[in-house]
Amino acid sequence: MTEVRAFFRRHGVSIIVLGVMAAIWQILSLLYTTEAVPGEPMIPGWQVVFTRTLISLSDYWQGGLGVPSVAEGAPPSYTAALLAIVSNSLDTMVRLYLGLLIGGLVGTFLGLAVSWSKWSRRTVELPLQFIRTLPLLAMVPLFQLWFGIYFAGKVAFVAYGVGVIFFAGVVNAVKNVPQVYIDNARTQGANRVQLYLTIILPSIFPELRATILLSLGTAWGAVLGAEYLGAQSGLGYIIVYSEAFAYLDRMFVVALLFVFYASISYAIFNRLSLKLLQWMPRVGRVIVVG
Amino acid sequence: MRLENGIAIKASQLSQSFRRADGQLVDALSSVNFEVLKGQFVCLIGPSGCGKTTLLQIIAGLLLPSSGILEVGNQVVTRPSPERGMVFQKDSVFPWMRVINNVEYGLACRGVGSGERRAIAEHYLERVGLAHVARAWPRELSGGMLKRVAVATVFANGASVLLLDEPFGALDYVTKRHLHNVLLTLWAETGRNKPRTVLFVTHDVDEALILADRILVFHTGRIVDDLALVAPRPRTTDTLLMPQMVQNKHLLLAHLGLETKQAGTGATSSIVRAAND
Ligand SMILES: Nc1ncnc2c1ncn2[C@@H]1O[C@H](COP(=O)(O)OP(=O)(O)O)[C@@H](O)[C@H]1O
Ligand SMILES: [Mg+2]
Repeated sequence: MTEVRAFFRRHGVSIIVLGVMAAIWQILSLLYTTEAVPGEPMIPGWQVVFTRTLISLSDYWQGGLGVPSVAEGAPPSYTAALLAIVSNSLDTMVRLYLGLLIGGLVGTFLGLAVSWSKWSRRTVELPLQFIRTLPLLAMVPLFQLWFGIYFAGKVAFVAYGVGVIFFAGVVNAVKNVPQVYIDNARTQGANRVQLYLTIILPSIFPELRATILLSLGTAWGAVLGAEYLGAQSGLGYIIVYSEAFAYLDRMFVVALLFVFYASISYAIFNRLSLKLLQWMPRVGRVIVVG
Repeated sequence: MRLENGIAIKASQLSQSFRRADGQLVDALSSVNFEVLKGQFVCLIGPSGCGKTTLLQIIAGLLLPSSGILEVGNQVVTRPSPERGMVFQKDSVFPWMRVINNVEYGLACRGVGSGERRAIAEHYLERVGLAHVARAWPRELSGGMLKRVAVATVFANGASVLLLDEPFGALDYVTKRHLHNVLLTLWAETGRNKPRTVLFVTHDVDEALILADRILVFHTGRIVDDLALVAPRPRTTDTLLMPQMVQNKHLLLAHLGLETKQAGTGATSSIVRAAND
């Protein structure tokens, strides 16, 4: 009971604001009843979203698990709709997180290489600064031609988008490592690999947090961009398909799913990084002026 | 008496110049020559900007001199080594490691087993009076405690040359006096087989007189005086009142520009300009 009360004391206002936003949406849907095509309201109210729209997502279930697909002649069902949401979300997320992981590792590695030695800097820095300037979405078709429209192409594209951000973030953060920490470690006998693992990586992490959050956003953009252009599954695929038939309500549901997934991944990352940063003097500080 | 066989540190014609951002060339050290015997406790004193930190960095192997040679234990210094430990002027305790992990860091880098290095680290934390905060984060410690962590670390590493750059400069009087005792005890107890040579930078005259076997006075990148202090240890407030100590104090104050030498008498008059201006 007290926990419930504490929860509402902390989050009550935020919950009310969310409720108000949902209500405004509902009011707008009643005020503007324009339809994109007959039967497809421009602003779908919640009563539409949670019934007709939800069940229509069965279209994207490809069958299996004892639940037949609509294409096989089965009627739309909530079970099929839920499976459609889960399987398409999973497809997108695997592409996303695998790309994020590969891009993060490669970007960090190349970013660190800039400070490793004169030769590694000369090798890495200029080409990467050049690659950085290429606009990400313009590269989608190129990646599809290089890596194919299937799994590898999308993962590579996300990895590219994320890697470029990590590279820039790491290069900058390394420049800000206080010299006294490096000197201290060297006088205690640390070799170069130890310097990177025990001094440079931990001391750039606080600054890198912003980079990682930024790259999470970019990764979502990149994976959807890749899915718009030629995918057979995934949330981006649902959006493209819906657009073709002006299914605004379905696009709205997918957008809600994005918000949901993104919020969860931000929350998890925040938790994790606060744990890793418990050494920092003012970690988790919330600034309130007045 | 300590065993003083052999030379620990030898600087020959050591010079260091820096090019500042405005293009001007600054001579931080100009043809410095000195020798320090093994086991000696040497204080370097001089106004700020006279090249003390630069000299310690060269001895640590963090900076290559523009010209001249620096030898430690008959070897020319070209890179850092755990044989030469340093307590930095700036805070250098790693904030992302707990106190105990800071103290055992160097040992871990050199592959000392976890049980052994933990025992060594705990021993020295105990000696500096910080056993109770071994598991704390550095952010939870005061400035004086952080300096004690740095001292424990440098001793845990077992260096034979200790370079301390104004380690207690920013501390209150009581903490400072306490740490002097800790430092002197640790320095003295290493025995005859492995004497520890200390170079201690300070701008505090009393601190130098309490600690040093010998005081090197720096001014604008040069050694301008070299005083031997033969007063017995442990030194107390009374030691500082011995005629020889008082005389040395006047000399040092004069070097720092706080007193002027009076002609004829050899004594000095206390003008203490800084206090009156
Ligand atoms: N990296 C550097 N670049 C330019 N000038 C420097 C650098 N390090 C020290 N100096 C200059 O060298 C002189 C001696 O500095 P330092 O050794 O730090 O003095 P101290 O430790 O005695 O206060 C000062 O004039 C300082 O400005
Ligand atoms: Mg200095």
